[in-house]
Amino acid sequence: MNNPVIQIQNLHKYYSTTHILKGINLSVQAGQVVGYIGPNGAGKSTTLKILIGLLTDYAGEVSVLGYDVKTDPIAVKSRIGYVPENAALYDTLTPMEYLQFIGQLYGMDETTIERRAFDLLGLFELSGHVNARMTTFSKGMRQKVLLISGLIHNPEIIFLDEPLSGLDANTVVLVKAIIRQLADAGKTVFYSSHIMDVVEKISDRIIIIDKGQIIADGTFAELQQQHSGSLEQLFGQLTGSDDQQNTATEFINTLTK
Amino acid sequence: MKPIVLWFVVRLNPLWRVLGSDPVALRAIVDVKLTMDNRRSYASLGRYGQSKAGEDKNNQFLIVLGIYTFFGLFTGLSMLAIPPKEALFIPLTITFGYLMVFCAMTLLSDFSSLILDSADNQIILPRPVNGRTLLLARIVHIAGYLFSIAIALSLVGIIVVTFRFGPLAGIMFLIMSLLSSILMVFLTNVFYLLLMQFTSEERLREVINYFQIVMAIVFYGSYQLVPRLMDRDTMLQAVEWKSWFYFVPPMWMAGAVDMVVQPAFDWPHALLTVLAIGLPFAGLWVMNRVLGPVFNARLAGLEQDSVPTTTQTGPEQASSIMQRLSHLLTNNPLERAAFGFVWRVTARDRKFKLKTYPQLGFGLAYIIAMSVGGFGAFGKSGGFYLFALYYTGLFVMTAQYQLSASDDFKASWVYGSTPISRPGEILSGAMKALIAKFMVPFYALVAIYIAWRFGLDKIDDIVLAFTNSLIMSLASAMATERRLPFSIAHDVVKRSNTARGFVVLFVLGLIAGAHYGLTLIPYGVWVAVPFSIGTFWYLFSRYRQTSWAQIVLE
Repeated sequence: MNNPVIQIQNLHKYYSTTHILKGINLSVQAGQVVGYIGPNGAGKSTTLKILIGLLTDYAGEVSVLGYDVKTDPIAVKSRIGYVPENAALYDTLTPMEYLQFIGQLYGMDETTIERRAFDLLGLFELSGHVNARMTTFSKGMRQKVLLISGLIHNPEIIFLDEPLSGLDANTVVLVKAIIRQLADAGKTVFYSSHIMDVVEKISDRIIIIDKGQIIADGTFAELQQQHSGSLEQLFGQLTGSDDQQNTATEFINTLTK
Repeated sequence: MKPIVLWFVVRLNPLWRVLGSDPVALRAIVDVKLTMDNRRSYASLGRYGQSKAGEDKNNQFLIVLGIYTFFGLFTGLSMLAIPPKEALFIPLTITFGYLMVFCAMTLLSDFSSLILDSADNQIILPRPVNGRTLLLARIVHIAGYLFSIAIALSLVGIIVVTFRFGPLAGIMFLIMSLLSSILMVFLTNVFYLLLMQFTSEERLREVINYFQIVMAIVFYGSYQLVPRLMDRDTMLQAVEWKSWFYFVPPMWMAGAVDMVVQPAFDWPHALLTVLAIGLPFAGLWVMNRVLGPVFNARLAGLEQDSVPTTTQTGPEQASSIMQRLSHLLTNNPLERAAFGFVWRVTARDRKFKLKTYPQLGFGLAYIIAMSVGGFGAFGKSGGFYLFALYYTGLFVMTAQYQLSASDDFKASWVYGSTPISRPGEILSGAMKALIAKFMVPFYALVAIYIAWRFGLDKIDDIVLAFTNSLIMSLASAMATERRLPFSIAHDVVKRSNTARGFVVLFVLGLIAGAHYGLTLIPYGVWVAVPFSIGTFWYLFSRYRQTSWAQIVLE
């Protein structure tokens, strides 16, 4: 058995007095696509931020690619890619300038960045916008640039937080295929999303987190042994909010009261 | 400016390595930040002709530098050209004091967003860049601006000193100016950190905002007051050495320059020079080693997924002042909605507060400073209180300029999607809220001060000036593009302000002049009041009938 690329042991995290993560244990092998899902406020983004070395004031052991995230964050950061949820980028720059900048932060040499950035932008059908400022870009176009910026240095592990938001249907198919092929090439994709259909289809392994704890972990087939149905239904049952039908009825009634 | 800064950054590569940062990443960050700064202000000027992607012209900053050089002209000439050589210490102190105040003010008001930029956390921190590199990049970025400002401010001073006391003194003056700005970067950083120590994280930005407002007012007020309170004669005498001199930062810088000017190589001068050179560098060192990591960690905390606040369930109690006022002052639902909306958002939107409240504070400080300290006879003359009253009206107008701008301007789609047939009612409701919330209290404050200083018989002037100011606000709102509250980006507001400001100033001058003419006629002012109120009423009803065709939506 080779070493896990992500290893979390007994991870606890507090925001002031709020206990966000209550003892997460997790280990991920290379070449997996891991879908990390949970309701809002369950601690998904917090886990991601700890894994990529953004938050270091946690309790427990977290290592990525054999490096301790707390003591060696730079080593971790240079080997992973991260695409954040909230589409933050410097939008007064052009995609090429932005990617140049990000590539330089990864210590890449400029001609390599330029060549890669140009080709990748072209594959995402942004060739015509390479030198246009991103202030005018749609959400989907920004998301494409963000995806490239998280992958341009060819990382070992890719952390994606809601990576498909704003993308059109064809691009969603493309990105899903990219994720699959990255995993087939031995890379690890750690994927967080609210879109259950996508998670169900592309994940080799699904981890459900609720209120700071892992409540389910396994392949989709394994999860189905506990509860049958789609991932969506399963998720509802596990996170204790499977009464949506009645709530919906109540909602309609309130509108006409 | 960018090429110069980058040139220095590359030349100083060994220094960055010694300080424990990555020179390549540092250069990349500074490069990108300066590029973005240039575009940001450029975009504000040329929003409509924005196809020239290659062009990065930052005229705005050059204009600011020009203005600062002009300020420097006054202090440089009055402080440094006249006093005899033996008495130069205090004038030098004042000059450096000005410089520091300007730097601190700029840091607190204009550059707080750079210091507290949290976009960096999401974009740069996930990359393999250590905290020290990011901190140094921030310092270099800010220092680039501050050095330009410091040089602009002291340019005249440098020339005067060089001319009078030789090039060595001039160079010393330049170095001390740059060191002053470094010291201020350090002090503002400490200031922000202290603030972060004492407040909970979710309130921090709010508190910083208020501090910025208060500090800006204090700085401006003291800048106005201090030189007026200072006795002219003592300035021309040689100083008597006091031990507290060693605790006043501008005096360190003054001491160092004075040492070369005299020349006087005695213990006090040497000690001051050591302080002047040592402390800015000590500050840099502390910032690099101690404060930086703490600061970034704290700042990272600012952005963390904040837990939504929970309140008691059920609608709020309908007893606030706002609600009572809105029922009193408005008489239809749309107007009332706009009133409440504007009232609430102006109390909560940080950008709005930061752009408006200091203006109000400046106005007050300015009026008090002028009436206390002088402007010679003008401060005590009959015309002054009128000037003060109309001046107040002018400052209230800035609130109105800002009203259409918001960071959340995109949310203004609701104006389009809801069935509003008479948008003028939104405008009138917003105007009423502004008058009730800013105009009346602020005017009352100034009016009380004036009644106390100049006597109760000025009440007629206060009333007329008030209604006239209302007319001015309305007229300027009606004469320019009418926009719904919080419906455009901040950048767009800046665009037309200067030209509009001059027109408003001119008209206001005319009205104030006419008002002054009326004070010479017995009961003239009282007779004018009903006319003024009538005009206001008429304009207001016209404003309220603004149709969609007259409204500019982006």
